[in-house]
Amino acid sequence: MVIFSKMNFVVIVALFLGIILNILPFSDNINSIKPPILLLILIYWSLAFPNQINLTYAFVSGLIMDVLLIMPLGYNALCYTITIFLILLYYPQIRLQSSLNKMLSLLLILIPFFLMSTIGNNFLKINYNLFDVLTSIFISVIIWPALFSMLRFIRQKYIS
Amino acid sequence: MNNNLHFRQSNITSIKLILFLVISIFFLIIDNKLELSNKVRENASYLISPIYKIAEVPVEIYYNFKTHIESKNSLIKKNESLEKKIFIQSGIIQKIPSLKEENKRLKKLLNSSNSAMSSKILIAELIKVNLSPFSNKIVLDKGSENNIFVGQVVIDSLGILGQVSEVNNNFSVATLITDPGHALLAVNARTDKRIVISGTGDNRFLKAKFISLNEDVMEGDILITSGLDNIFPEGYMIGQISKINKNLQEDFLEVNVTPSSSLSSNREVMLLW
Repeated sequence: MVIFSKMNFVVIVALFLGIILNILPFSDNINSIKPPILLLILIYWSLAFPNQINLTYAFVSGLIMDVLLIMPLGYNALCYTITIFLILLYYPQIRLQSSLNKMLSLLLILIPFFLMSTIGNNFLKINYNLFDVLTSIFISVIIWPALFSMLRFIRQKYIS
Repeated sequence: MNNNLHFRQSNITSIKLILFLVISIFFLIIDNKLELSNKVRENASYLISPIYKIAEVPVEIYYNFKTHIESKNSLIKKNESLEKKIFIQSGIIQKIPSLKEENKRLKKLLNSSNSAMSSKILIAELIKVNLSPFSNKIVLDKGSENNIFVGQVVIDSLGILGQVSEVNNNFSVATLITDPGHALLAVNARTDKRIVISGTGDNRFLKAKFISLNEDVMEGDILITSGLDNIFPEGYMIGQISKINKNLQEDFLEVNVTPSSSLSSNREVMLLW
C-alpha cells in the first residue's frame, strides 16, 4: 500500500488552497457571510475518495484552521469531524443524486455543522450574528455546483 | 466479503469519530486555562507566518496596483493636504513641552504622583488575514524579535485599540477593547469619575458597566484611560458615550460607548513602551 500517493498530494494541495482562501482578507461585509470553503473542499474529496480522505483529514485540517484563525483549539476540528462523518455515512446515496439533489443534501449536511458552531459560539462566548451564519450556509449551497465541477475537473485531470 | 469489509471500515470510522470528538471537546474545555492554541502557535510560528504571508499576497498586489494607477495629480493633491495637516499638527505639538512642565508643577502642588509619558513608539503593520468574522483580534507583523511583550498597549491615531495578548517569534496577536472578555478602567474626562468599560464583541460599540442610576453621566462625555489598571497609560482616548438607557427596574444604567479608534479599518497601529 502506497502511503503517499499522487491522489494524496493533489488533495493536500487543494486543501492548502482552501486554507488560503479561508483566511484571504475581504471587506467586513463579505467576511461575515463567507462560506466555509475549506469544509466544502473537504466534503468534495471525501465524497470522491471516502476510504482515503476520512475523519483524520477533517480533524487535522480543523486543528490547522483553529491555530490559524486564533480560535480555541478544537472548535473547527469538532465541526469538521462531524460533517465529514455524515458524508462518510451517506456518500453512496449522495453520489448518485442529481446536482440539484446534491445541493439539497449539502444543505441538510451543513445543518449539524451550523448547530455545532452555534453551540460552540455560545459555549465559548464568541459573539456572532445568526443571520450572517445562515447566509453563509446558503451561499455555500449556491456555490457548491461550481466548486464541484471545478474539483471534478482537477480530479479527472490529475488523478486516475 | 464486500459487505464485511464495508462493516469493518464503518467500525473504524465510528471509533475514530468518538476519539476525535472526545479529543476536540477535551481541547475546548482545557484551552481556556492552559492556552493550548497559543502554545501551538508559539512553537509553529515559523510555519504559520509564511501561510499568512501567502494569504496577504493578493491584497498587496491590489494595493500596489492601486497606487500604481493613481494619477500624478491626485498624488500631488494628497501630498499637499498631508503637508498642511503636518504643519498644523506640529504647530499644536509646540505647546506640549510647556504643558508637560506645567502639568508636572501642578501635580507637585497637588502632591499626586507623576504620570510618565511613554518614551518609545513602534509602528506595526497589520497582517491582513481574515480571522473568523466574529473575532475581536488582530495580527501584527512584529513579534518577540522586536521586544514586544504580552500586555503591551496598541493604539492608533485616534485612540486605544487594545493590548497584545500573544507574542510569537515574528508575529503577535492583539485583543481589541471590543472583545467580550476585555475590560478596562476609564475616567470620565468631564467629571473625573471612574467607569469600567467592557467589550461587547461588536466593533461598533463598547459598554460602560456598573454606573448607578443617579450618577452624573451625559451623552457625549469623553472617556479616557485612567492608568489605574497598570496596563493602559493615563490619558489616551477610549471613546464617547453615545447612548444612555435608564431603566428604574435595573440596578445600573445601560450606557453605550462609541470607540474613538477605527477598529476595523486600520493598516498600521502603534505600540507603546
